[in-house]
Amino acid sequence: MSRTPPDGKLHTNGTQHSGSALNRMRAQWHFTFCLFLATWAISGCSAAWEEEMGSDADHFRDKARRDLLTLLEATRGKKNLVISQELAGPVGLFVKFSVLQEYGVDRVFLLENANIDSSQRNVVFLVRGEKAHHVRIVAEQIKRLQNNGNVEHEFSIFFAPRRTLVSNAVLEEAGIIGDVNIAELPLYFMPLEQDILSLELDESFGDLYLHKDPGCIFHAAKALMGVQQRHGYFPRIVGKGDNARRLADLLLRMRKELDAEESSGLADPSARGLLPSASVENLIIIDRDVDFGTALLTQLTYEGLIDEYVGIKNNQADVDTSIVGPAPTPQSQESSKSPQQAKQGLKRKIQLDASDQLFSQLRDANFAIVGDILNKVARRLENEYESRHTAKTTVELRDFVQRLPTYQLEHQSLRTHTNLAEEIMRLTRSETFRKSLEVQQNNAAGADSTYQHETIEELIARDVPLKTVLRLLCLESCMSGGLRPRDLENFKRQVVQAYGHQHLLTFWALEKMELLQPRSSATTMLLPTSGAQAGTKTNYGYLRKNLRLVIEEVSEKDPNDISYVYSGFAPLSVRLVQCVLQKPYILSLIKGGSPAASLNTANTTSPGWLGFEDVVKSARGATFSIVQKGDDKAVRARQTLSGNSATKAVYVFFLGGITFTEIAALRFIAAQEAPRRKIIICTTSIISGDRMMEAAIEKGSFAKAE
Amino acid sequence: MAPSNPLANWEKIGDSFYRKIAVYDAIFEEDVELENYIAAGAPYGGAIAIYRDESKPFRLRDSQSSRSTIDIYSSSGQQISRINWEQATIRGLGWSDKEELLVVSEDGTVRRYFGLDGEFTSFSLGNGTEEYGVRACQFWASGLVALLSNNQLIAVSKYEEPRPRLLAPCPEGEVSSWALIPPAQTLSRSVEVLLAVDKTVYSVDSTEAEDKILQDGPFKHISVSPTGRFVALFTAEGKLWVVSNDFQNKFSEYDSKSRVPPSTVNWCGDDAVILAWEDEIHLVGPNGAASKYYYDGRVHVIPEFDGVRLITNDTCEFLHKVAGVTEEIFRLGSSSPASVLLDSVDQLEKKSPKADENIQRIRSSLPSAVDTCIKAAGHEFDSYWQKRLLKAASFGKSVLELYNSDEFVEMTEKLRVLKALRDYKIGLPLSYEQYLRLSPEGLIERLINRHEYLLAIRISEYLQIPADKIYVHWASQKVKVSTVDDEAVCKLIVQRLDSKPGISFEAIAQAAYDEGRSHLATQLLNHEPRGGKQVPLLLNMEEDELALDKAIESGDDDLVNFVLLHLKSKLPLASFFRMINTRPMASALVETAARGEDVELLKDLFYQDDRPIDGANVLLTEALRDTNLTHQTEKLHLASRLLSDSKEPTVVLHQKLVSEASQLLKTQDALDKDLADHSEFLGLSLNETVYRLVRGGYGKRAQKIQSEFKMPEKTFWWLRLRALVAKRDWGELEEIAKIKKSPIGWEPFYNEILGAGNTKLASVFVPKCSHLPSAERIEMWMKCGMIVKAGEEAQKSKDLNTLELLRTKASGPAATEIERMINQLRPRK
Repeated sequence: MSRTPPDGKLHTNGTQHSGSALNRMRAQWHFTFCLFLATWAISGCSAAWEEEMGSDADHFRDKARRDLLTLLEATRGKKNLVISQELAGPVGLFVKFSVLQEYGVDRVFLLENANIDSSQRNVVFLVRGEKAHHVRIVAEQIKRLQNNGNVEHEFSIFFAPRRTLVSNAVLEEAGIIGDVNIAELPLYFMPLEQDILSLELDESFGDLYLHKDPGCIFHAAKALMGVQQRHGYFPRIVGKGDNARRLADLLLRMRKELDAEESSGLADPSARGLLPSASVENLIIIDRDVDFGTALLTQLTYEGLIDEYVGIKNNQADVDTSIVGPAPTPQSQESSKSPQQAKQGLKRKIQLDASDQLFSQLRDANFAIVGDILNKVARRLENEYESRHTAKTTVELRDFVQRLPTYQLEHQSLRTHTNLAEEIMRLTRSETFRKSLEVQQNNAAGADSTYQHETIEELIARDVPLKTVLRLLCLESCMSGGLRPRDLENFKRQVVQAYGHQHLLTFWALEKMELLQPRSSATTMLLPTSGAQAGTKTNYGYLRKNLRLVIEEVSEKDPNDISYVYSGFAPLSVRLVQCVLQKPYILSLIKGGSPAASLNTANTTSPGWLGFEDVVKSARGATFSIVQKGDDKAVRARQTLSGNSATKAVYVFFLGGITFTEIAALRFIAAQEAPRRKIIICTTSIISGDRMMEAAIEKGSFAKAE
Repeated sequence: MAPSNPLANWEKIGDSFYRKIAVYDAIFEEDVELENYIAAGAPYGGAIAIYRDESKPFRLRDSQSSRSTIDIYSSSGQQISRINWEQATIRGLGWSDKEELLVVSEDGTVRRYFGLDGEFTSFSLGNGTEEYGVRACQFWASGLVALLSNNQLIAVSKYEEPRPRLLAPCPEGEVSSWALIPPAQTLSRSVEVLLAVDKTVYSVDSTEAEDKILQDGPFKHISVSPTGRFVALFTAEGKLWVVSNDFQNKFSEYDSKSRVPPSTVNWCGDDAVILAWEDEIHLVGPNGAASKYYYDGRVHVIPEFDGVRLITNDTCEFLHKVAGVTEEIFRLGSSSPASVLLDSVDQLEKKSPKADENIQRIRSSLPSAVDTCIKAAGHEFDSYWQKRLLKAASFGKSVLELYNSDEFVEMTEKLRVLKALRDYKIGLPLSYEQYLRLSPEGLIERLINRHEYLLAIRISEYLQIPADKIYVHWASQKVKVSTVDDEAVCKLIVQRLDSKPGISFEAIAQAAYDEGRSHLATQLLNHEPRGGKQVPLLLNMEEDELALDKAIESGDDDLVNFVLLHLKSKLPLASFFRMINTRPMASALVETAARGEDVELLKDLFYQDDRPIDGANVLLTEALRDTNLTHQTEKLHLASRLLSDSKEPTVVLHQKLVSEASQLLKTQDALDKDLADHSEFLGLSLNETVYRLVRGGYGKRAQKIQSEFKMPEKTFWWLRLRALVAKRDWGELEEIAKIKKSPIGWEPFYNEILGAGNTKLASVFVPKCSHLPSAERIEMWMKCGMIVKAGEEAQKSKDLNTLELLRTKASGPAATEIERMINQLRPRK
C-alpha cells in the first residue's frame, strides 16, 4: 500500500492547518501569514483566454440569447412563459429575467408545477423536444387551458434544441398540433465559463449508462458540428471508450451528410464544404465509463467540495443562510432570478463563476490551501482599507473612495467564502468523512480492498447517506474489477436492510451500469501484471503503475502534477488526455526522471495515442485516432493565407459528464500548455459521484410518508 | 432594329409619368372569351389562372366546354396546364408568393396546387364554413382570408401547416366590399381586414372589430396600397377616395362620373389607383389627376407591387410609374448629367468632338451620371435602350480614373437573365424590381415548375447558385414519365446526377414511390447519403426492418423512437419484440419509453426475453407506487414467484430479499397494530425499525427482529448505541458498559456519548478502550475534562513530557495531583 492514511495524512493535515488559520482570521481581520500564492491555474493565462477563446463561449451564449429573444418577439404582446425545470437553469445562464420581461414575458411558470393560468392570452412553452413525456404534459396543459378558460389562448411551443417527430406524433395524438405555433430553439452548447462548454443535460449520465439511450451522443454530435462549422473540421479526433467511438462515427457521418447537403455553386468544387481547421489541433473524446473510478472519489478541490456538499447547478449553489448569511444588498446579488423561486426560505443562491475574482483564485485549489489563500486576501484587503488613514492629499482620498465599492464587493465575497470554507471544513473533520476518505484512498492506491469492508459496514450501521456507501462499493468494484460475489451479497443484504428494500432496484441499476459488479473469474486477473488486454473493464491496477496515477509527494500548495486535485491521485481520465498532449511528461513520469524538466521541451510531434497504444488498451472500450482530411490544395492555400496561428485549440469532450476536480486538472494542464495550446472543455453535464449514484438510486419507498 | 421612342406610351399624371409597355401580343386564342372568365395572376410576372365565370351565360358548344376547368397560362399565353374542377363552386382563386395556386370552394375546402402541374394538397377552413358557405376570398403572399356568408372571417397564415383561425366577430350588415392588409404591413404583425359594412368600414383583426366611423358608405370597392399606407375607397356615387390607412386623412378624390362601379379597383404602385371597367381603365394619380385607356375587349388587371399587368386577348401590358432615373434621362428637354452622358454616346458615334465637350461639362457629376445610366438600363424593357444606356455608362466610366465596376457588371448579368426570362417561350415578364424581390433562387423555382431545366441550370451556373433542386426535379419528373424499366431509369438518373453535390435522392425516391414504382424507389434510396432522410419514406413503403436499421444507423434517437412508435402500433406484439430483440439500441429505447407509459408492455418484453430479475423489478416498482399493503404484498409475492425458478445465485439472493421485503412489511404492520400510539413503522427500513424500537424503549422487540432478519451483531450494536444516545437512556448504556466485550469495541460508545455531552458516562468507557495507545486515552480523558485521570494514564506509561504539559493546563487540586505524579516519576535524586 503506497499511502497509508489511517490518520488521514493526505488530507486532514491540510485542513487542520487551514482550519486554525481560519479561526485566527475571524478573530482579527489582518493576520500576518504570508505565503507565496500559486497563481498558475487561476489568473496566469486568463487574459489570453478572454481574448481568443472567449469567442467560443461568447458566441454560443450570444447565439442562444438571440435565438430565444427572436422567438419571443415573434409572439406579439405580453405572454406567460412555461419552462421545464431542466431548461430553467440553463436558460438563466444566457439571459436574465429582466431581459425576458423586456421581451414581453409577464410571468414564468415551471412546467412541472402545472400551475399555468389564463392571466395572459399568449402562452409560450419551452421544453426539450426529445422528452416525449414533457411534450405530453404540455399537451395536457394546453388542453386544460383550452377547455376551462373563457380566454381564447394563443399557444406557442419552442422545442429545444429541435422539433422531433415523436413530439409531433404526441401533439397530433392529443389533437392540438393545429392549434399551436411550433418553433425550434437550437440550444446546444451553453458556456459555463470561458473554457467550459456544457450541454447541461442533467440526465445524460443515466441515459447513457443505465438506459443505454444514445440520445445525448447525437445531441453532442450536433453540438460539436456547430463548433466545426465555426472553426472548420477537427483535423484529428482522438478518443477512448465505446460511446466516444460512437460519437466520433456520428461526427464523421454528419460531416459526410453536410458535404452532401452543401450545395454551393458548381463552379469550384474545392471551395465547397468545410476544411480542416487551422486553429484547432484536435478533439479528444473521453467516455466517462473509461474512468468511473475517478468520479467516484470525493473531490478535494474547493469547487469540487462545494459541489459535493452543497451542489452546484448552472454555476449556482443554494447555500443555507445560516452558513453564509442572508443575501447582502440586492444589487450585488446578480443572477437570473426566475420569479418562481420566490420562496425566500433558508437558502441563498450564490453565483459561482469567474465574475467572482476571489472564487476564481480558490476554485481549482486543493482545499488544504484554501485557508491560506483566504488569509492572504483578508490581509491584503485590510491593508488596502487601512490606507485611508495614510491618505493625505484629497487626490489620494478620492482615489480611495472610488475604490470603495470594489472593496465592499471583495469583502462580501471574502465573507461568503470564509463561511463556506468553514462549513466544509466542519464536514471534512467529521469521523465518517475521514473514514470514507480513508477507504477511498486505499482503493485508489490499490490496497487490498477487503480490509476496508469492516469500515464500510460500520458506515452503513451508522446510517451515513446511502450515496456515500454506494460510492465506496462502486469505487471498489471499479478499481479492482468487481467485488467478490460473497462480499457483494453481504453488502446487498446490509444496504437493503439499512436503507430499505426498494434499493434492490438500485443495485440492479448499478449492475446494469457496470458500476457495481460481482468479480467474475475472467476479471480476477485484473492484476497489475496483466497488461494489454483490450477489455470491457478498465484495469486500474495496470494503469496505476504504467501511468503513475498515484503520486505521493505531490504538493497541494505548489503542485507539479495533476494528482494534487485528489491529494495524491491523478484522475485517469485526465492522464489519458495527457497521453495525447503531454507525451514526454508522462514518459518521464513513468521512467521516474524529473518530470518538471521535460515539460518545457514537450513539443509533441507524435499525434494521437502514438507511444501509448499498449497502455491505453488497458482502459475500457475502443481506442481511436482519426484524421479528418480535406482537400490538400485548399488546406495549403488556407495555411498560407491565415498563417499557422500560434495558439491551437484542443477540444476535450467528456461524454457522460466531468467533475469539477477533473476540470481543475485540465486547467492545470492548460496553464502548462499555454500559450501554445488552449484547452476548451466540453461535456454533457457536470457530474459528481453523488449524481452518478442518483441516476441509479430508486426514489420510491414503502413508507407512506411521501 | 429601329430604336423605339423611349417616351412612347408615357402618360403624365399629376407630377409624375406612367408608362405602359406592351410585353407580349396575341396571347389568347380567339375562342377564349375573356369576358366570361375570372382571372387571377401570380405575382412577379407569374402564371395566370382563368376559369369560366358561372354567373355569365354559357354558349353551349360541346361537351368539352361544359366541363369546368381551371386553365393555367403564362403571361405570354402559353398554356401550362389544365385542372379539371369537379368540386363545389369556386369562391376564391389566388396565388401565393411561391406560385402555388389556391382554390377555395364554397364548402370551405382549400386546395393548394403546387408546381403548376396539378398536384395539390387540401385542407378545410372549418369553423362553420360547411354551414354558412364561403362568399369570397382574398389572398396575400403567404396566406388568405375567407369571408363567410354570415360575415365571419377566417384567416390562414401559412399553407405548410394551415391553421384556419376565426378573426373577431364583426357586425351584422351587408358587406359591400372588403380588403385585407397583409401581416407584414400591420402593426400587430398579423393579418387585418377592412370590411365595408353599410355606411362605414370596420377594421377587423384577431381580437376586435373596430368601427372606423365613416358616414359616406356604402363603399363599392376598397383596396389597400402595396405598402399598406393608403386605402382607396370607391363610393356609390362613383367617387374614388384615397385615404390614410387609419382613415384620418383624405388625400385625394376623383370623380369617375360613372354610375356603374368598376369591376376592379387596384393600386398601381403606391401612388396611383387603377379603376377597371369591362374595357376601360382609369389611372388615377395623386390629387385626382387621371388618365384613361380604352380597349377593344375585356381587360383583366393583375396587380404587382410596382405596377399592374393588363391582360387582354391580344396583349399583355405592364403599366407602371416611370422610375426616377429613367425620367431624369429621357424626360423631354432633360439636361441632367446622365442625359448628357447618353447624348455623348451619339456624338461619339458621329465622331463629333461634342462628345468630349459633353463629358467636360458634366465632369464633376460624372460618377453619379454613370450610376444613373446603369440603373436606368435596368428599368428598360427594350434591349436597344438597355444597350445604349450601358454603353453610355461604359463610356462614362472609361473617363473616370477610379470607378468600381461591380454594379455595372452585375447589371449586365441581371439584364441577360431578364432577357432570357422575358422571351415569350418562357413568358416571365419580370420587371427589374420584381426580379430583385423574387431573388434568383425564387426564379429558379419558377423555371423548374415550368420544366425549363436547361435554362434553369444555365442561369444557376451563370449566377453561381445551387442547382441541386433542378436536378432533383428533373429526376423526379423523369421517374414519373419514363416508361423504361426501373434499372434503366435508375442508371440514367444516377449517371446524370453523379458528382453533383447536394442531390436529395430521397426526394426522387419519394416521387418514384408516389408513382407506384417502389422497387425503383428502394434502388434510388440507396444513393441517398443522409440515412435519416430515408426513414419516413421507407416506413411508407412498409420496409419496416430497413427503416429501423437506417434509423439506428443515423444515430438519431428521435428517428428510432419514431419508427418504434410506428411499428409498435402496427405489428403484433410478438413480431415487434422479435424485431427489436436483435437491436440493442431499439430495445433500450423501447424499455425506457415503456417504463414511463406502458408497464404491461415491459412485463411482456421481459417475459419474452426471459429476464426474470427485470420482470420482478417491474413488479417491485409497482409495489412501491402502490399504497395499499395487501396490493403491495401481492406484487412482492408475484415478483418472488417469478424469481423462484432459477438456481442462479444472484437470482436466488434477489428472490430472498424480495420475500424479505414482504416479510418486513408484515412485521411492521403488526408493530403498528400493537404499538398503535407510536410512530408508524410500516415501510421503514429494517435498521430504522430497530432503531426506533430501541428508542421507543422496546428493546426486546428489537432483539427479536434482529434475530428474525439475521441482522449482523455489529449493526445491531451500532443501532442500539445510537438509539439509546438519542433517547438519552444513560442508565441502559451504563448497564451495557458492564458487559465485557462489545463487537464494535468501546470507542464508538465513548465518541457517541461524548458527542451527546455526557462526559461523565463517556469517561466510563475510556478504560475499556484498552487496545488504544495510551496517548489517545490521555486525549480521551482530557476531552472528558478529567485531567487527573489523564495524568494517571501518563504516569502508567511513564510519560513525563505529557505530564509536564498537563501541569500547565491543570489548576487547583488537580494541579497538585499532577505535580505529585511528576515527582513520583522524576528519577530520585
